Amino acid sequence: MGGSRLRIRNEFLASLVFLAIVALLPVWVISPYWRGLLVVSMYFALLAVAWNLLAGYAGQFSLAPTAFAMIGAYTTGLLAHHYGLSPLIGIPAAIVVSGVVGMGLGRVVFRLRGPYLALTTLSFAEILRHVVRNAHEITRGEFGLRVPALFDSHLAYFYVFLGLLLAVQVGLYLMLRSPAGLYLQAIRDDETAAASRGVNVVFWKTTAFAVSGAICGIAGALYVHFSEIASPQIGHIFETGLVLASVVIGGMGTMIGPVVGAFLVEIASEQFRAIGVNHMLLFAFMVIVVVRFFREGLWGLVMLALGRRLAGPRRRARPAQAGGS
Amino acid sequence: MLTLEAIVLGLIMGIFYGLMAFGLTLIFGILKVVYFAHGESFMIGAFAYSLLALWLGVPLWLAIPSAIVVGGVIAVVVERLLIRPLYEKFGDWQAMRDEYAIIVTFGLSLFLVNLANQIFGPYPFRGPELTDVARFELGPMIVGGHRLVAGAVGVVVLVAAYLFIQHSFWGKQIRAVAQNRFGASIAGIDTRMVSMMVFALAGGLAALSGALLAPLFHASPDVGVLPALKSFVIVVLGGMGSPIGSLLGGLILGVLESLGALYISYTYRDTFAFVILIMVLLLRPQGLFGERAREV
Amino acid sequence: MGSHHDIGRTALGGIASVLLTLGVGGAAAQAQEPIKVGVTLTQSPPGSVIQGTEVLRGLEIARDMFNEEGGVLDRPFELIVEDTQGIPERGRAAVEKLITSDEVVALTGEHQSSVCLAQTGLVARHNVPYINTNCWSDDIRKEGHPQVFSPNMYNSRVATAMAEVIKGLEVDSVFALAENTDWGIGQAEALDELLEQTGADVDYQYELLDREARDFTPVIQGVRGENPSLIALIMLPPAAYVALNQLHEQGVIPSEDTWLFEGGGLFSYPDFWENVREAALYGIYFDLYHTEMALSDLGAQVREEYMQRHDGTPSRLVFQAADSLLLIKEAIAGAGSTDPDAMIEWLQQAEVEGTRGVISFSDEPGPLFQQWIDTPFVTFQVTELDQTLEETTLISAPDSGVQIDQLHRPKN
Repeated sequence: MGGSRLRIRNEFLASLVFLAIVALLPVWVISPYWRGLLVVSMYFALLAVAWNLLAGYAGQFSLAPTAFAMIGAYTTGLLAHHYGLSPLIGIPAAIVVSGVVGMGLGRVVFRLRGPYLALTTLSFAEILRHVVRNAHEITRGEFGLRVPALFDSHLAYFYVFLGLLLAVQVGLYLMLRSPAGLYLQAIRDDETAAASRGVNVVFWKTTAFAVSGAICGIAGALYVHFSEIASPQIGHIFETGLVLASVVIGGMGTMIGPVVGAFLVEIASEQFRAIGVNHMLLFAFMVIVVVRFFREGLWGLVMLALGRRLAGPRRRARPAQAGGS
Repeated sequence: MLTLEAIVLGLIMGIFYGLMAFGLTLIFGILKVVYFAHGESFMIGAFAYSLLALWLGVPLWLAIPSAIVVGGVIAVVVERLLIRPLYEKFGDWQAMRDEYAIIVTFGLSLFLVNLANQIFGPYPFRGPELTDVARFELGPMIVGGHRLVAGAVGVVVLVAAYLFIQHSFWGKQIRAVAQNRFGASIAGIDTRMVSMMVFALAGGLAALSGALLAPLFHASPDVGVLPALKSFVIVVLGGMGSPIGSLLGGLILGVLESLGALYISYTYRDTFAFVILIMVLLLRPQGLFGERAREV
Repeated sequence: MGSHHDIGRTALGGIASVLLTLGVGGAAAQAQEPIKVGVTLTQSPPGSVIQGTEVLRGLEIARDMFNEEGGVLDRPFELIVEDTQGIPERGRAAVEKLITSDEVVALTGEHQSSVCLAQTGLVARHNVPYINTNCWSDDIRKEGHPQVFSPNMYNSRVATAMAEVIKGLEVDSVFALAENTDWGIGQAEALDELLEQTGADVDYQYELLDREARDFTPVIQGVRGENPSLIALIMLPPAAYVALNQLHEQGVIPSEDTWLFEGGGLFSYPDFWENVREAALYGIYFDLYHTEMALSDLGAQVREEYMQRHDGTPSRLVFQAADSLLLIKEAIAGAGSTDPDAMIEWLQQAEVEGTRGVISFSDEPGPLFQQWIDTPFVTFQVTELDQTLEETTLISAPDSGVQIDQLHRPKN
């Protein structure tokens, strides 16, 4: 237990250092294009952290993070578009709605595991995206929904996103150190055992979904106020893939992997685009190679270089399965 | 009358879905993980068939089996390079197999779609129809010529595949590994060979589905994405690892989609599959024919 | 062997040539500094790669043609292309990069409305001329940004074409199949309005089809049930091909009871005949040019060049793209510089002969703000397999009216 707490603490501190460096970047990075790129990276970082909470720490492999971002985005977007409500109302509303939906989804899928859970959450995401695309009288479908801006300069968005990311990281750290963190990891490692020892599995799973959903929701809401347009593309399965790739490339189940991974993935895909070669091809290839050969992600490589292995593989005892692996 | 026609058309489409789901359920059975790149086997089959026939003038009775072979071979290559570590050396990966499988196969799917886009360009190809008869009029019902013939081909192959799984030597080995991989290997079954066979079979059947649908859906790089999602639904619906479940699940989904599109809403036709999936899983988590408490 | 004088002269000559080359080269390099035009379009999924490819081909042909003539202000054109993948946020980022990092003098190429909409705010903020190649959405023009010029085809224009033919045919029921994009929906609604306006007593309904889907059988079953006199198809490839083939599969077309009117400019896509066979027969097709119509020299050249470089005929997107670059060129030439305000002012008053006619922009605020209103169009009928454009029957053209009597009924 001690080793694990130490590891979490070290990862958290490392992530603080990383974020501190990011906070200073605008001193050198003046071009609005690059600042914009960093803002988008932080959007993905938030999604990655939220997904890592759900999948990496609670063991719930959901394929719906971008669906929740879309919920948040359209909550604030629709309120602004149809009722003229300011983002100061829209954004809190987005958090509430996506949190509540997350809770609902968690409650509904709590009996499912592994691929079943993945496919159900995927179905949920696809249904949502289809509805948003086709209910064009309300959502304007593929045209996209015009969303009002919050600020004039990219710098303001930059620091708001950074602040949020920081807050989420701190919150996650505190939670992991608290009993809640223990319960979640217990559920991840062996749900039946956890239940038999009195952990309220349903409650904690639902909570994990709700919190993860809410983080994705606020990320989505801020994102559309930044780009000034909401479109169903936000919830496309391809975007989910980017989130997953960020976490795995950075280092899954760590406190710093998702954050660094998100920046890497976003910047890499933009740079590949600049090369002109079919960048998605290159990018997909990179994802395959990294996942195939560096399963502990970049953070794992860093640790390896520093001579330390990540504290043991996550123990995920399978209940007496009719078929070992 | 439209209803009867919708049912018939739904059944035919269900056959094509079944071709995709059959192989996928076997993959689930032996590996217990999500194989996201299955849709690309469909896409590969569609392109192989269309291009062999259009560019190389290969006669149709040869082009179809060739498409199956191409699909099967590529699936085996994928298995060898990317999937094998799942159940072999990487002891540590046991704990994160689901994530690994999903992300690797997702990356693979993205890679193949863009590769196809790069090689073949975005313009679609239409493979030739299997028959010159434009449509069959069975009473007041109209069923497209190619659709009917392709459906018939699909049925024949599916029945053959089912018999293979149930009664042949290799079929039994596959089922043994699906039930208990470790036990099967102790009993002397070459699990590697079985995995390869399953992938070859799954890839080949999906490619056949793509080839048969090429004249209807037109081969293009992303043509396999939606069929793949639907086949996931069917596999879960029918019960993972259950071949008969995937066949029946495919037919059921085909008919439900067809009737739903006609009477409920055309626009949301492609969401029915997902709605059905969620409903079934809530009521019967193991699917229609799956084993109880199949925890993965 | 050579004397000192020779060596000396050689050396001097050598130095002189070097200096001369540098000097001239330097001056030439100055004059040669290319004019950077920013281009955003879709080159990889999930957006429409076909559209992006056609637009890029048109822009490249135009660029090469103009550069051969010396470019503009003695400088050649350089296209800086960014792939948006059809994703609005990427489009915004792409434009931001092109404007702030690459410092382009103008932007063009975008062909998907949601992406255009994500870009116009930035364009206005930075005051960069933006030639809208193919974004149909009225919202783009309603915003009223003076930087945005739309020489492309627009919804009510196509609907007008359809309504004219429908009126001439005296049909009593129309069923439209439209894709669920801004273009499809806009056109379906515009057609509805126009039919009301012309006072034609027509029973009109439409269904929106998802262009990501591939099986339209249920909808077509419904269409069969309604048995309309005319089916309007408002879709783009590949879904459009699929819809046509499935209409044919169910025996709906070709038929002596039901006309098909295609409103997407499908016929001129390079892969049309490969993908559509008997389903194409006796259909009435809408497009931007016909060989019997007066095509400007530029248009004819672009068409020639496309057919030489690529396999097949150019779609309307190619012409719209070429016109886009032409407008940028003329704006720079007319303004005498790349100053954005000068270019914008010039464009507002411009009358430029494009690939198919003289382009000018309306100043009426609203959905037609800075839109080229009189975009020419034609309709023609296809009567045989693998027919080329020359062989089709012209039904309506800008100069002539609608010749309904030219229409053939299918030999059922």
